[in-house]
Amino acid sequence: MLLGTGTRILLHHKLRFTVAGSAIAVAVTIMFAEMGFFFGILDSQTNITGLVNGDLVVMHRNRTHLNKWNSLDRIRLQQIQALSGVKEVLPIYKGGIAFTNPDTGKTTRIIGFAFKPDAMPFKLGQSEFAVRQLKQSHTVLFDRESRAIYGDIKSGQQIELDGIQYRVGGFISMGPNIVNDGAVIMSDGNWFRDRRSNKPVMGIVRLADNPNVEHIKQNIKKIFNGELLVFTPDDLRQRELHYTIKAAPIGIIFGVGMLAGLVIGISICYQVLFTTISDNTRQYATLKAMGFSNFYLTKIILEQALLLSLFGFGLGILISSQLYGIIGSQTALIMQLTSPRSIFILLLTCCMCIFAGLLAMRKVTKMEPAELF
Amino acid sequence: MSEQANQLQSTESVQNYSKITVQVRDVSYTYGNGSAQRQVLTANDLNLYAGEIVVMTGPSGSGKTTLLTLIGALRAIQGGSIHVMGQSLGGLSSKQRQQLRKNIGFIFQDHNLFESMTARKTLELAMQLFRERYNSEEKKALPIEMLENLGLGERIESLPGNLSTGQKQRVAIGRALINNPRLILADEPTAALDKGSGEKVMQLLRQRADENQATILIVTHDQRILGTADRIIEMMDGRII
Repeated sequence: MLLGTGTRILLHHKLRFTVAGSAIAVAVTIMFAEMGFFFGILDSQTNITGLVNGDLVVMHRNRTHLNKWNSLDRIRLQQIQALSGVKEVLPIYKGGIAFTNPDTGKTTRIIGFAFKPDAMPFKLGQSEFAVRQLKQSHTVLFDRESRAIYGDIKSGQQIELDGIQYRVGGFISMGPNIVNDGAVIMSDGNWFRDRRSNKPVMGIVRLADNPNVEHIKQNIKKIFNGELLVFTPDDLRQRELHYTIKAAPIGIIFGVGMLAGLVIGISICYQVLFTTISDNTRQYATLKAMGFSNFYLTKIILEQALLLSLFGFGLGILISSQLYGIIGSQTALIMQLTSPRSIFILLLTCCMCIFAGLLAMRKVTKMEPAELF
Repeated sequence: MSEQANQLQSTESVQNYSKITVQVRDVSYTYGNGSAQRQVLTANDLNLYAGEIVVMTGPSGSGKTTLLTLIGALRAIQGGSIHVMGQSLGGLSSKQRQQLRKNIGFIFQDHNLFESMTARKTLELAMQLFRERYNSEEKKALPIEMLENLGLGERIESLPGNLSTGQKQRVAIGRALINNPRLILADEPTAALDKGSGEKVMQLLRQRADENQATILIVTHDQRILGTADRIIEMMDGRII
């Protein structure tokens, strides 16, 4: 019975309910968008850590985040390879390359990665055919998730990197971030042939069977104390997350944006509930005169708040899923509408509307039923 | 003790004291503070008995509505004492007064029905005050039975927007009666009704007083309903005369 009372009151004015729910959906969409950008940037910044095809990552101690390119001496990686429990260490070379858009002729920077083709230190979704292609001279694999500024690149197409002609042998899936727009990978042979830096920016460490990862990690730290950083891929992801949130500082920027959405939602919901209460002031006062408690009336108001939040959320998530698709395709950021994130926004929306309901409830609490006479 | 109170004591000796539903003694009431203070009730005594309809009349501002709200536990008592169904209202907390009001049926001049609720739902909502009292069959059947008794058998699922003023008032009366209160307080229940509807409302209240021994106190200016009353009380300048 109670479940229906608040719902009936709210749904009586269907147009008002629809408009109010749509307005809350706007607030929900704002929160989704801000959260989408926040996680989109974080996911994009840390994406490469999830692609590491190894047990540990070794970097120069000054490389405070992954978009810094402090390189290390190759000899250090060879020394690590000599340690007990280490199967192999794969040096990764990285650098900015001048890419000439074949459609427009415009030159733009693209990130180049190089390593031994057979080793495949990253899980990039490439085919075996593409790996074979990678071994070819003057051949690269192009990141199909790169931003559109590089043009519509096709397999087999000739492209110009640092003024040198390369053939696109196939594609990988890596994805850009807020610093880099796209990537190509090539064999270390192609990298050195064109006289690029022979100092790697990181080493991917693969351990022997049944490894004690933590023990070997501590061992590397101890031996190269002060010169190298060593992480598991997950540690590296956490460090990158922390850096991006704190130092960038996107946490505050998008946090404020989400707060704005929340405040807008509270204002709208409060206004709707306050109007509904105002329309029924005498009715609520009558219920109080009859002996209904403030708690009972609060449940009626909160039922309305909850209904508004569910309607607003439902509409908002539909709009947001479309918006994520558009933003993802336009920015190439990883815009994921995951269940935990959706549940988080749902809870935030419910809290938002319940808070607004409790604010509006003050009007009912203060009502004096004696004034009905 | 006032002469009025002595008279009441004499009446009580004739009638069974246990049938007193409301006992008002030396009740005074003041609105405002300081220079804005205004005394609206002065030393009033009154007994209301089970099964009687008492009509309270008097000019506007004479204090009759204030007395009604005090008896209805809608205001806290300032001076004197009021016992309602054996319970003293003096010193009751807001929560205790709310609990007491569950046992009082209120009828207002305006029907105050939720526009979104059908006649049946309105009565079902009132039954929520005593949800443990009714089984599921009663919860379904009683509102329909009550509305049929009120002559609204054809309007059970109607929203207030589809009811006439008289029909709305009858729904409001049904809401006040559905839980069988021993005390019914009504403020101008027939003021907005035509003669026929007003008579029907009074018949219903008469029936409730006779069959259920309910005590009914009506504040009104409507001369048409005086004939239904067992007693008529007049108030003037804050006193029952």
